[in-house]
Amino acid sequence: MSNFSNDVLTTLKILIIGESSVGKSSLLMRFIHDRFEDDLGLTIGVDFKTKTVVIDGNSVKLAIWDTAGQERFRTLTPSYYRDAQGAILVYDVSSRVSFVKLELWLNELEMYSNRKGIIMMIVGNKIDKDKREVSREEGIQFAKKYKSLFIETSAKTKDGVEYAFDELVQKIIETPALWENTRYRQTQQLTDDNITDNQSSCLC
Amino acid sequence: MEEDILNEIVSSEDLKKFEKKYHIELAAGNLQRQTRFNYAWCLVRSRYSADIRKGIILLQELCRTEDLSNESSKRDYLYYLALGNARIKEYTTALQYTRAFLQVEPGNQQVATLETLIKKKMETDGIKGIALAGGVALAVGGIVTLGFALAKGKSK
Repeated sequence: MSNFSNDVLTTLKILIIGESSVGKSSLLMRFIHDRFEDDLGLTIGVDFKTKTVVIDGNSVKLAIWDTAGQERFRTLTPSYYRDAQGAILVYDVSSRVSFVKLELWLNELEMYSNRKGIIMMIVGNKIDKDKREVSREEGIQFAKKYKSLFIETSAKTKDGVEYAFDELVQKIIETPALWENTRYRQTQQLTDDNITDNQSSCLC
Repeated sequence: MEEDILNEIVSSEDLKKFEKKYHIELAAGNLQRQTRFNYAWCLVRSRYSADIRKGIILLQELCRTEDLSNESSKRDYLYYLALGNARIKEYTTALQYTRAFLQVEPGNQQVATLETLIKKKMETDGIKGIALAGGVALAVGGIVTLGFALAKGKSK
């Protein structure tokens, strides 16, 4: 699939953020390697992976930054928000706290990301668990409020994982203002001016 | 060049910001461990090897003086010690840190990935035979022991 074309249309920077232990790295591992491990260990600082996907016949390279959710890394991880075109915000459907705290992550993203139209995908992970503390409806409402895409997933069973990444990338590609200028590295001022106020619709 | 975690460079703003905080606290005799760690984390991602070496020293100090019960901090130090050493091409030392880490957490893919990356770089740089200098083994020894202490604590 990735050999479809050597010409990469663009490279997109994607962030994964959210509370500790909600399954951010597991989602990424499922997406990249199609594997699941019960004990991946807490992410240290920031991890980085790339994958080339084909969207409408074009190769798009994804540079994915998987950030640590632990408090101790919070002072430095926002530096990684810069220039991101997409963000995956993860909570755990079996942990209300992780859902409630998502608002803080959203605020932080708003504060530190310098691209106005950044596309967001809110992901309610761990739907394979019997114990559920956040209903699907609540997740949908929350995503609507923040004009974010939404999906429930299980990194363990694979449910929804592909969709979460594909939809996000599709949406970014449909918003050329987010990525067309990145090749030229124009000054931030110019880039900002070119971004139209994008209305990212909720797919729920 | 293929981009990876070893090529990632800290922004100069971040480096300056945490350097300043470090020196202010140091001057006031109130240096926090978190401040030291933040500064070290920036230093090992600097584009200058002198900075990286400074970061490594800070991390080694943190590692030596860490409360034994504080497992999660120690894994952070080991990881960045491996990363820092790899960035200044001290691959053998870097691999000792990743091995020490993986002894405690064999399933950790972040560190396993880093280890693979280091081995790849070694090959690229043409370092085939790993001749272990005694000094290097000594320097890492203390921290590897920490790793074992960690493992024991975990199996309880």
